[in-house]
Amino acid sequence: MPNNNFIERSILETLSFFRESVFADEYAARDGFLQRRNARQKTIASLLLLTGVLFARNLYLLSAIYIFVLGLAVLSRINLWFFLKRTWIFIPLFSLFIALPALFSFFSPGEPVLILPIGQIKLVMTKPGLMAAGFFVARVVTSVSITVLLALTTRHNELLKGLRVLRVPQMFVMILGMCYRYIYLFAEVVENTYLAIKSRVGGHVRQRAGRKIVAWSIASLWQRSYALNTQVYNAMLSRGYRGEPKVLEEESK
Amino acid sequence: MSEIIFELKEVFYSYLSRFPALCGIDLQIRKGEKIAVIGANGTGKSTLLQLLDGLIFPDKGVIKAFGVELSEKAFEDEAFSLDFRKKVGFVFQNPEVQLFCPSVKEDIIFGPLQLGVSPELIKTRLAAIAAELDISELLERAPHHLSIGEKRKVAIASVLAIEPEVIILDEPTAGLDPLTSRHIIDIILRANKAGKTIIISTHDLHIVEEIADKVYVFSHEKKIVKCGAPAEILADVPLLQSNNLVHIHAHQHNNMIHTHQHGSLGHHPED
Repeated sequence: MPNNNFIERSILETLSFFRESVFADEYAARDGFLQRRNARQKTIASLLLLTGVLFARNLYLLSAIYIFVLGLAVLSRINLWFFLKRTWIFIPLFSLFIALPALFSFFSPGEPVLILPIGQIKLVMTKPGLMAAGFFVARVVTSVSITVLLALTTRHNELLKGLRVLRVPQMFVMILGMCYRYIYLFAEVVENTYLAIKSRVGGHVRQRAGRKIVAWSIASLWQRSYALNTQVYNAMLSRGYRGEPKVLEEESK
Repeated sequence: MSEIIFELKEVFYSYLSRFPALCGIDLQIRKGEKIAVIGANGTGKSTLLQLLDGLIFPDKGVIKAFGVELSEKAFEDEAFSLDFRKKVGFVFQNPEVQLFCPSVKEDIIFGPLQLGVSPELIKTRLAAIAAELDISELLERAPHHLSIGEKRKVAIASVLAIEPEVIILDEPTAGLDPLTSRHIIDIILRANKAGKTIIISTHDLHIVEEIADKVYVFSHEKKIVKCGAPAEILADVPLLQSNNLVHIHAHQHNNMIHTHQHGSLGHHPED
């Protein structure tokens, strides 16, 4: 039976996404090609590849880099289907919608490939438009794949150390680490809140009531995160923090 | 008589200037003592501990630590702040609050690093504490992957790594299974044996006799209603009952239902 409860679907799918792709140390713990490499080397190599993608002017070169990244994923014992799902999920969000206008003649004039009549207007898809959009999407998908591959094959604390090597300010690295730490806690809070609501109102909620519940949950979560924020800051003060985080030198090498 | 570490005189504190949390607290804590603060929920125990750790400051009254009055102004002085933080460690009730780093190891060394302890000494302390608390296996793990008992141990380790003279613990055994609770008590007792002053808030009366040599009882009026040795406090059943610390418990023995107080007083205090 299809699950028509939009709250349940949204919450459970978001949580499952976080668990599988952000917090899963499962892939990072495997004995694969990239897992055996040092976090610093991987971070630098990823940055070099991303720079290559940024400056590539040739679709073949981009495709070659993409295939190379997929090959690395396989060598690192990552399920290819899982990897493709995790990378392509971002593509509509970050590129397809942006690239869409570039397909048509009013942005990219040239040889028509497809004419779409919409009422009195004719949308003309052109060859240069198709090339430009394809190039953009290829660039995004390759960049996202490189980043996701780095995140999947490196434990997150190692990844943060990698950022320190690149002289990313310590404050930024610390905030990033704390965000990661507490997103997990709040994901649990959201899940428990949802279960508490479900236990009282059952599985079926009308759209209107559902929106109210979601709005209330967001407000409650904000309140909790605000309270936690004060307590965490106190916990930092209590252990001597005075606004400038210090790290062990060896951790940042 | 050993040196006075904390001295509170007529201390009042309220949240948002409207909700009283402490109403006229007077107490003295001496070096090496084991102090338990007991009271029902909402009686101001956690507020008192935060005041002792210099995280909040009284609306009225005076709180002195090591002879110096604690105030926001006093903590603006970096030398005083560093010295105080080196001397006083606070284990929060909720370990999620205390463990904010990406790994257990980073959480344990956070305090010593901020307080300017040398890297060599930090490594030595980390190894010693991890061995003592049996958490060496956890060092590279992320705090959110730990069980509640492991989180509590790591939270205590993060304070022990500072090597403070005073350890303040807010309900350290709440929600733990009996064995983990036992481990936590042993860690606290060892720290006290090593000369550290221990201040604990709890409503777990079973542990009071062991972890304290002086007990302060807080009432719903946010005041200290009694102070004394654990045996004296635990024997005062009317006091404990009126402060929600023991309740009447009914159960069955050989087809006979009978009632007795349920709290710290053993199974059948009347026997």
